[in-house]
Amino acid sequence: MNILSLITFIPVAGALVILCLPKEAEKPIQITALIASGLSFVFSLFVLYAFDRTTPLMQFTERFSWIPSMDIQYALGVDGLSFPLVLLTTFVTVLAIIGSFGIKERIKEYFFWFLILEAGMIGVFEAQDLVLFYVFWEITLVPMYFLIGIWGGPKKEFAAIKFFLYTLSGSVFMLLAILAVYFNTNPHTFYLPDLMAANANWSPRFQILVFLGFYFGFAIKIPAFPFHTWLPLAHVEAPTAVSVILAAVLLKMGVYGLMRISYGMLPLGFHWFLKPLIVIATINIVYGALCAMAQTDMKKMVAYSSVNHMGYCLLGIAGVTATGFQGAVMQMITHGIITGSLFLLVGVIYDRAHTRDISAFGGLAVRVPVYAALMFLACFASLGLPGLAGFISEFFCFLGSFQAWKIYAAISVLGVLATAAFFLRMMEKVFLGPFNNKWAGLSDINARELCSILPLTVMTVALGIYPKWALDIMNTTLVHMANMFK
Amino acid sequence: MEHLNLLYPEFALGSLALGLLVSDLFVAPKHGRLLYHLAWIISIVTLCLIGFTISDGAHFQGVGTLWAVDPFSQFFKMLILLTTVLSLLMGLEYRELPSKHAGIFTSLLLMASAGMMFLVSSTDLLLTFIALELISISSFILTGFERRNPKSNEGALKYFLFGAFSSAIMAYGISLFYGATGSTRLLNVTQAPGPLMILGLLFILLGLGFKASIAPMHFWVPDAYEGAPTPVTAYLSVAPKIATIAALMRIFTLMLPASMLDLTSLFTLLAALTMTIGNFTAMFQTNVKRLLAYSSVAQAGYMLIGLVAAGTSGGDVRGIEGVLLYSFIYVAMNIGAFVVVQAVATEAAAAGAKDPYGLEAFNGLARRSFGLALALTFCLLSLAGIPPLAGFIGKLYIFESAVKTGHIGLAVVGLVNSVVSVYFYMRIAYHMFFKQADSAEPIALGPYLYGGLAVAIAGVIIFGIYPEPLIASVQSSAGFLP
Repeated sequence: MNILSLITFIPVAGALVILCLPKEAEKPIQITALIASGLSFVFSLFVLYAFDRTTPLMQFTERFSWIPSMDIQYALGVDGLSFPLVLLTTFVTVLAIIGSFGIKERIKEYFFWFLILEAGMIGVFEAQDLVLFYVFWEITLVPMYFLIGIWGGPKKEFAAIKFFLYTLSGSVFMLLAILAVYFNTNPHTFYLPDLMAANANWSPRFQILVFLGFYFGFAIKIPAFPFHTWLPLAHVEAPTAVSVILAAVLLKMGVYGLMRISYGMLPLGFHWFLKPLIVIATINIVYGALCAMAQTDMKKMVAYSSVNHMGYCLLGIAGVTATGFQGAVMQMITHGIITGSLFLLVGVIYDRAHTRDISAFGGLAVRVPVYAALMFLACFASLGLPGLAGFISEFFCFLGSFQAWKIYAAISVLGVLATAAFFLRMMEKVFLGPFNNKWAGLSDINARELCSILPLTVMTVALGIYPKWALDIMNTTLVHMANMFK
Repeated sequence: MEHLNLLYPEFALGSLALGLLVSDLFVAPKHGRLLYHLAWIISIVTLCLIGFTISDGAHFQGVGTLWAVDPFSQFFKMLILLTTVLSLLMGLEYRELPSKHAGIFTSLLLMASAGMMFLVSSTDLLLTFIALELISISSFILTGFERRNPKSNEGALKYFLFGAFSSAIMAYGISLFYGATGSTRLLNVTQAPGPLMILGLLFILLGLGFKASIAPMHFWVPDAYEGAPTPVTAYLSVAPKIATIAALMRIFTLMLPASMLDLTSLFTLLAALTMTIGNFTAMFQTNVKRLLAYSSVAQAGYMLIGLVAAGTSGGDVRGIEGVLLYSFIYVAMNIGAFVVVQAVATEAAAAGAKDPYGLEAFNGLARRSFGLALALTFCLLSLAGIPPLAGFIGKLYIFESAVKTGHIGLAVVGLVNSVVSVYFYMRIAYHMFFKQADSAEPIALGPYLYGGLAVAIAGVIIFGIYPEPLIASVQSSAGFLP
């Protein structure tokens, strides 16, 4: 059974069903979307159950010739690096779809694009052929463009086209790099495992050039400094559920590509770039945190905190140790979960108050205790409080890179301080202090919102207390990867 | 005149076109639609005639005649006829057309197609010139077919003036070529090219480049495309372009290979210039027809990349295949886009819009007819080369051939241009999806437009997801015969 294809294309099937439903049939559309994403999630749980944690190899592989005359294959597979991300994607998408039930207008189009987006994201993490990877990578752009541009905030059109053009300009260089590696292997192939085996024949100069091509595409997606400028805009203008997806999954595509392709396929290029990478990681951490601190808009603050958190991922990767890699992958998962819930929570208050200005609130904890508790938990997790999910991944990132990059790790720790500072400041201004009577009519979080947020909160605590089960999935692969070029 | 019989599809088409011209005298204007139906049936029959020959090697030959009947030419002939059919279907739904001079219109369209079919087969400059004139003169009249529309007249006049000028230059080029080689035959040119011959060839390139709208010979394009009736615009933006590019390919890569006269750097420059000018000018257009006109200029540039790759010394057949593949896909995506444009503009004109082809006419289309908006979006994304649509496969193939033959710089220019193009293609999507509509009425789509759109969209999607059969047939059609 081709279970990975099922996971990937069930959302597409759902999208086609939605396309056939009349646009007035709002309930059926919502339910179809939920079922499609839910099925996809259930199948990924099957994979989780059957997943062999003791092998670093690709599992559940599917491979057949897609376009033989261009040597393009349809090849899917998951290992300890990609499977956690697939699981994260299907999980978060279900919750984001539940969170989107509050969308009132143009429901049909919304869920259509959302499901197409899901298929693209899952495919990126599974693809084992570079052209297939590129196809999935690009598929995510168009739905995102429409999701931001139609249902977004006041500057949505600009945010949408900026996102589209920015990421596209990165990915065309990736395409060029893909073609370059294709012509420099014998026999010509786009199949990733074959390319990984062939890289010994590539000259350092070639690897560096190709690395830069790929890096350009990935760095924009991550987003790594100085290519991060599209992110705050897109995040702020996007509707809540789309921000969740953007932060929880889309950014991970860049980090994943860096680990899978740049590191795995171009070791010389990667090692050449280590120094700049660690500098960029440090800048991301410190600069992202400082920017977050300067924000008055809660959503923008969370957006910049993503820049900061992606910096930890880069830090972990730059360590090139098994621990660092574990930290990076773990950070991707925990950031997806925590920032996902943060965006959902910010969306909850925005739906009620129609403002996200930090200083407009005050003392809300009295009025909306459940909401405040959830928010506190998410913020603490995000700033890395021990016992919650964020801590363990950040710790691993530091641990993994400390040996190789003592000074940079030390500077990055400052970023942790700044992160704590801006989250605490936000919590204080919004939830503590004297109650702002303007918000006396504010209602607490409702059942639907709870449905979409609570699973994330539970995961945050669970991963914080017992991270081993998640680490077990990725461990073998990452240890193998770290030792691949030793 | 050996093997005249091999041209029977062209003769059939040409004589039936003449028949349509005569029948215009006997068919009342209100039955004009009948002639349209007749015309597209004729085109399909001709298409089938060619289709039967394509698998039969006995039908291919070239030596000793003015023309070569080979897989390459047959492929393009089929594409041209396909475009003709789709344009005629569009014409059936175009308000200004079927009732007036249907016989003349259809016969001119078929004449132009016959001219293109001669053009892609021609191996003699004289035949090339005559074929080109047949296309040109028919196209001038077709462009100005809306006699009461000043824009149509203006476009036709500009087209005519530019066209006449470029024809004259081309004729001069041919005479120079004749002076240098003593023959208008491209076959068996053995002399080393001297200045006279090179000058002649450059003039010939200029004449052909004008038809293919290669920058800087593209200035007539926006006005002619804007003024022409939409079905004609759709036709002109596809058929003459691919036919001339096929002719360019035959002359400059096969008949005069790079080992003899290396024009690679010139073509590289032209390709880069055409893409860049087309895309960057399209960014500023507010009229969809003009926007698509500039986009079609840019598309010609992408095809030229394939020509460059094929013409590089030691270049391979991938460039040729890339052009064939891209031409096929281009037919589907461009005609698809024009079908939707025509449907929307018809509605807008009925609602009394000042500029029925303005971007504003597309406001809120997604709310009025989501399917139609989605179809146009697919066509536009395909033109921009976004996977998993067919345009991506075409671009990938062409860029691959460019990288393979070492034209990395050109590939980079092409890729950057694709990004730029997303900006203006998405501007249409922006109006369709993000803007509010003035009315909530769904757009009516007549049966023929519907059929044409269905064919085009099916091509764009199916060959994007499963291009293998198309690529296989392209690979078997890339064979030239001298």
